[in-house]
Amino acid sequence: MIYADNAATTKLDTDALEAMKPYLIEEYGNASQPYFFAKPAKKALAAARESIAECIGADPEEIYFTSGGTESDNWAVKSVLFFSSGTRRVVTSQLEHHAVLNACHSLEKLRVPVDYLPVDNNGIVGISDLEASLHEDAALVSIMLANNEIGTIEPIQELCNIAHNRGALFHTDAVQAVGHIPIDVRALGVDMLAASAHKFNGMKGSGFLYIRRGVDLHPFSDGGSQEYGKRAGTENIAAIVAMAAALKKNCERMEESTRKLHSLEALFLDKLSGAKLDYIRNGSNTHLPGNINISIKGADGEMLLHRLDLKGICISTGSACDTVNTQVSHVIKAIHVPEEYAKGTIRITFGADNTEKEAIVIANALIDILKG
Amino acid sequence: MKRIDCVSCGRQDIDKNTIGINKKLLGLEVKNFYCMDCLASYLNTTVEDLNEKIEEFKDEGCKLFE
Repeated sequence: MIYADNAATTKLDTDALEAMKPYLIEEYGNASQPYFFAKPAKKALAAARESIAECIGADPEEIYFTSGGTESDNWAVKSVLFFSSGTRRVVTSQLEHHAVLNACHSLEKLRVPVDYLPVDNNGIVGISDLEASLHEDAALVSIMLANNEIGTIEPIQELCNIAHNRGALFHTDAVQAVGHIPIDVRALGVDMLAASAHKFNGMKGSGFLYIRRGVDLHPFSDGGSQEYGKRAGTENIAAIVAMAAALKKNCERMEESTRKLHSLEALFLDKLSGAKLDYIRNGSNTHLPGNINISIKGADGEMLLHRLDLKGICISTGSACDTVNTQVSHVIKAIHVPEEYAKGTIRITFGADNTEKEAIVIANALIDILKG
Repeated sequence: MKRIDCVSCGRQDIDKNTIGINKKLLGLEVKNFYCMDCLASYLNTTVEDLNEKIEEFKDEGCKLFE
């Protein structure tokens, strides 16, 4: 089996697994309890918070553990419901993950106005588009740091400055970026940043929301006093410990893995070009390492996915059959991929475990299907 | 409905699921169809794997397999 869909999820890191084991079996105390048996859990929670904060340039008190990226995004975006009614407008982009887009659609049903900014052909949100959309009632801007389909990295620092100049808060969905590119929340200037552990070799069902000190977000859930009273519920210590271990390791190895992933990208694309396939590479030049999103002229992305699947190769597609017709993803539509290419969109996302041999096998399999 | 036979072995009157999986794996525009055995052989896979795919597509509500 060759797994090349690391934007969907990643393999749990073995060191992260070892780090979490004690908290699954021996140290199962509830971190909120005052007795000695709870202390290891409490200490592990604090250490994980500190380690994660350090990886993104935050303070530990600004890290709020959640069940993952979707919860973190929903918490941040829907927080506008608790703002004063005259200033609730949300500005986001057409390129966002459904965790943000569908949260925005829910807000619209509750009469919260939402603007969806267009993007250019590389998937970049225009600075002038954001400037033009920010009226007095804008409360929150939510633009993703890196796109999950095409890997485009947005100019968050500039977009954030504009939002702040107009008095709006700025949230970024950094689910695809955390653990894969350097992140410094202070340099970016963001008020909120969402992350998901299983995207960087941690456990599924865990993540965090960075909330800048001074931003008073309404609690996500009410109950106990966990997460500084903002997210009630007994903490999943084992998953949190694994998340911290995985993130630390990814950050320590980031330079090395980025080099490797760019090299795999080049190798794969060279093979395709050598076979004279007519394709467009989607996304900007500044993209997530290992992300290759291509649209192949006259091809059917869903067909390619299933044919590769039968060969034991896991990739993703930017189009899918909706019972009758092939539907192109909202991201591929937003970047205006020409129709004759759009349905032939596939995404290969290499990860730390992928090898040169695997990149060649995938490329050859793809060429065989298309030219066979 | 027009009778469709396997382009490879000539097996007669292949069923709707087989036509559906041909379209899914060879392209919606495909004109010549294989029976399950020949399709599995052509794709270097097994009939069991193809049947699993058919069930997945049915679960997704794909109209090709009604």
